[in-house]
Amino acid sequence: MDDKYSSNVLSSGRLGRVEVPNARLTRYIVLLLVTKLLKALGIFESYDLLKVVHIVQFIFILKLGSAVILVFFQKPFSSGKAISKRQWIKLLKHAVISCIISLLGFFGLTLCGPLRALLLFEHSDVVVIALLCVLFTSTGGGPSKTRGAALFIVAVICLLLFDNDDLMAKLAEHPEGHHDSTLTHALYTAIAFLGLADHKGGVVLLVVSLCLKIGFHTASRKLSVEIGGAKRLYALDNLVSSVVLLPWVIVLSVTTESKVESWSSLLLPFGMIILSVMILEFYVESICITKMEAPRCARYSSVFLFLSGLLLANFWTHPLTDQLRSMSKPPVHDSTETEHVLSGGVLVSAVFFIMADTILSSPSKKGQKGTLVGYSPEGTPLYNFMGDALQHTSQSLPHFIKESLKQILEEYDSRQIFYFLCLNLAFTFVELFYGVWTNSLGLISDGFHMLFDCSALVLGLFAALMTRWKATRIFSYGYGRVEILSGFINGLFLMVIAFFVFVESVTRLVDPPNINTDMLTPVSVGGLLVNLVGICAFSHAHSHGAAKSSCSSHDHGHSHGHSEQNHGHSHGAHGHGGHGQSSHGQSSHGHSHGSSHGHSHGGGMNANMRGVFLHVLADTLGSVGVIISTILIRQFGWLIADPICSLFISTLIFLSVIPLLTDAAEVLLLRTPPEHEKDLNVALEKIEKVEGVLSYRDPHVWRHSASVVAGTIHLQLMSGVVEQRIIQQVTAILKDAGVNNLSVQVEKEAYFQHMSGLSTGFHEVLAMTQQMETMKSLNDGTCIM
Amino acid sequence: MLPLSIKDDEYKPAKFNLPAKISGWFRSILSDKTSRNLFFFLCLNLSFAFVELSYGIWSNSLGLISDSFHMFFDCTALLAGLAASVISRWRSNDSFSYGYVRAEVLAGFVNGLFLIFTAFFIFSEGVERALEPPHVNHDRLLPVSVAGLLVNLVGIFVFQHGGHGHSHGGDDGHGHSHSLFNGSVGGGHRGHETKHGHEDGHSHGDGHSHDDGHGHSHAGHGHSHGGHGHSHEDPHCHDELHTPGKGSSKQILQGVFLHIVADTLGSVGVIISAILMQNYDLMIADPICSICISVLIGVSVVPLLRESIGILMQRTPPSLDQALPECYQRVQHLQGVYNLQEPHFWTLCTDVYIGTLKLLIAPDADSKWILSQTHNIFTQAGVRQLYVQIEVAAM
Repeated sequence: MDDKYSSNVLSSGRLGRVEVPNARLTRYIVLLLVTKLLKALGIFESYDLLKVVHIVQFIFILKLGSAVILVFFQKPFSSGKAISKRQWIKLLKHAVISCIISLLGFFGLTLCGPLRALLLFEHSDVVVIALLCVLFTSTGGGPSKTRGAALFIVAVICLLLFDNDDLMAKLAEHPEGHHDSTLTHALYTAIAFLGLADHKGGVVLLVVSLCLKIGFHTASRKLSVEIGGAKRLYALDNLVSSVVLLPWVIVLSVTTESKVESWSSLLLPFGMIILSVMILEFYVESICITKMEAPRCARYSSVFLFLSGLLLANFWTHPLTDQLRSMSKPPVHDSTETEHVLSGGVLVSAVFFIMADTILSSPSKKGQKGTLVGYSPEGTPLYNFMGDALQHTSQSLPHFIKESLKQILEEYDSRQIFYFLCLNLAFTFVELFYGVWTNSLGLISDGFHMLFDCSALVLGLFAALMTRWKATRIFSYGYGRVEILSGFINGLFLMVIAFFVFVESVTRLVDPPNINTDMLTPVSVGGLLVNLVGICAFSHAHSHGAAKSSCSSHDHGHSHGHSEQNHGHSHGAHGHGGHGQSSHGQSSHGHSHGSSHGHSHGGGMNANMRGVFLHVLADTLGSVGVIISTILIRQFGWLIADPICSLFISTLIFLSVIPLLTDAAEVLLLRTPPEHEKDLNVALEKIEKVEGVLSYRDPHVWRHSASVVAGTIHLQLMSGVVEQRIIQQVTAILKDAGVNNLSVQVEKEAYFQHMSGLSTGFHEVLAMTQQMETMKSLNDGTCIM
Repeated sequence: MLPLSIKDDEYKPAKFNLPAKISGWFRSILSDKTSRNLFFFLCLNLSFAFVELSYGIWSNSLGLISDSFHMFFDCTALLAGLAASVISRWRSNDSFSYGYVRAEVLAGFVNGLFLIFTAFFIFSEGVERALEPPHVNHDRLLPVSVAGLLVNLVGIFVFQHGGHGHSHGGDDGHGHSHSLFNGSVGGGHRGHETKHGHEDGHSHGDGHSHDDGHGHSHAGHGHSHGGHGHSHEDPHCHDELHTPGKGSSKQILQGVFLHIVADTLGSVGVIISAILMQNYDLMIADPICSICISVLIGVSVVPLLRESIGILMQRTPPSLDQALPECYQRVQHLQGVYNLQEPHFWTLCTDVYIGTLKLLIAPDADSKWILSQTHNIFTQAGVRQLYVQIEVAAM
């Protein structure tokens, strides 16, 4: 039990984390794996042994055996400094406590089986200390640790509540008075007093003893230093505890008759348990902790241990292994195959335990993602924190939900979508529950269909949220395009659906099936109502947005400006600077011009909302179609009405989606925004006339998102003009035309020389020189003008 | 590039001549290898679907007819790819100033989305069937699915091969010219060194392009590997990127290829499950096969989708992620540069990166020199088109 003395948690946690490459550690990891497998095997074996051997005897034998071996290896008496009397007393206390803990542990093992004992009891100190830190201190180490602790607790609860171990069998097997000794009886009655079932009592017992074990380990660290090393302490401790247990064992063997037929047949299993559980594990663990860092070792070991426990639990009570065991040794017990079987709860909790251990034992990554850029002139190291390093810090989940809810409710669009999504989901769930209750398959499948429809809404909501994310280093223009992409995806989605409906209705047209119309009407009327609400809401949003853009366009522009923060801001500053220097009349004129244009688009429905709206519209049309065809079929018996309706509707959907798709595709293809095209042409003409500009080249203007229109242009200037003034003028002109994210590159003759040096293609250079010549001639022309 | 020449476009006769247009399309389809491959494979697929449909109508089997409709639906992916490969070669005009090269990314994206939809539908169907396996009539399944498999295998072969050929043909200068330029090398020196880098690139080009071709067959993994680290520098292309000579590229091919792989997997799954059902009566084999296949499709599409969404959202190119901070550092170390603002870098289409940035420089700094140096630095990193706006700091 006392196997992890040397896991000096605190010291290893403080030192800087050095990632050792895995390749060098492979053999240690393999060693750890083998050891953990052996340990799991030993614990399973000891569970079987504990059925026949009394627990105190069992522990005594374990301690004695390991003491003999350890004394032989470690030579605690001949090597090291002598141990004083006071230390002996401390050792005695230590041994007594360790005896108690192992007693509790093994008693828990008898109560709830080897796999559950493994899952509960065999956590390393690092994990438990992290867990306790999270639970009982305010600075637990961040949200990821909290998540790990939550997982751990959920796993324990799973084991407590959802693991229907064979209670009945155990209860029948354990009548009062069956217990061999007063000790186990006392423990048993204590657990029964708590009102817990047998294996649940074991679970609680194991958790308590786990905490005790960890506390004990931490407390004994000082003693281990005093004694002179963890290994020596371990050897001495085993020796002393076997001495402590000796009188009890003698008393026990005198008073009670043993169930064991032949002790010699148990020699082999005992030896194996001693070797695997007590000795080998201790040594390997201490080696691995010195080679790897403690958290990593803890992570690997717990994962290996749990996995091997699961593996063994699967095969341990298997008839085949029983046969094998009975071949190798006399049957020590008649195995009841249904005892402590694998159940769903155990599996789930094992998975949770593994996850929790991995999270809890992983070191916190705060501030470690920066990369060393170099050294400053003063010699201090400079780190480069990438933008995404800050984003990768894990967020707390409840906090995240709260934040995103707040964000959703902040803006009109996303609020609208969110409410409608809630309505839709509520309707769906009502439908599903009603369907399950009345056991009607039609309702259930319709409910699932609705759920599927909700995905479009979720997509729209997500896009509306994401649009407002700030620009990062990676997405330097911000996430505004998500909106357009989402609209595009929704449109495509609708297209596919319309296509399938079309094909389906064509096949039905050929061969109209008989439709059961009883259930259809109420459901489709309900759906229609819900969707009508949606249409009202979204079309309201549309008109509202339009109205807003016409009367209070400032408000709208303002909010957009905030969402893309730094870009628009700095641009605004530039534009103003330009105005200050250029002619005043033009600037004022341009200003009103630009703003009206910018907002006429921003106020209209964006692609995302259009996609969602179309989706809702399609659903509405679908329910209308169903209602009409139901009525027709009922009244007149026209079975053909259904496919005709669906044909009609699918065509309608198809046609209504096309504009959305073309618009979105145009934006995605970086088309010059059509609504700015005229202004841009005017602006380009104006640019030509700016004094000092020879010509321009490669004017690229494209819409990035609803609020960002980006543009780039190359200007060719005459030599000897002030570049800055021209840049500002051009920026102002283009800004008036609606381009709010512009960069202007000024080229003079030297630039062409440079480019021709840079590019090796001959015809490229040729083209350049030709261009230069034409420009020169043009230059003359303008000069004359 | 003068405005006069731009306006020339408007004087073109706008009469609608359908036969001429169609023949023009044909010519443009057949002129490029990728689109030719796509076109032939589409024809093959369509003819197979028509044969299936007519046979189905003739023998009056509903299964065959529905399968042929499914084939038609599949053909839309090919059609999208073909259309994109034609459209992406259209000239740029006033409205589409970058040309239509992005169509290929869009086509890859649409194909990926369709595949995801398909995978989802198959998955839900598979789950439904796993709950209560229907009795599948497997008499006619085997020959049809074997034929479909053959057709698709042809497709896989063609496109894998096409990928190879494409990258072998198109490697006109994948320069490996890291650190050949130094920020402080003089102007006269530069030309010479560039040439050196170019030749270097040629010798590197073969191995590199081989990598690329490999990437197509592995669908997404090796592909991104091709773009990493090595800076793709096409020295020919500064003005001409509206008409990339390379033709259609990765995104379309990847999308179409994935689609064909998905179809092939589907036929393999059907064959396996048909055999299992016929010989061992394992009815559960069919849904399990379809679930596995749908998961496989979904997983294999994810890289394509992620990449194309990244491009469409004007993400900073992943292959520049590492190089850019270094470039920023170097630009900021140039003499006279105060600050670097608003760096935007994005991918226009495969391997064509465009960047804009603003430099704040000292009033007495040599702006021309800084401009050319900046261009230098970023061209090495693989940025084809760079717009640098230079602003002089107010004193």
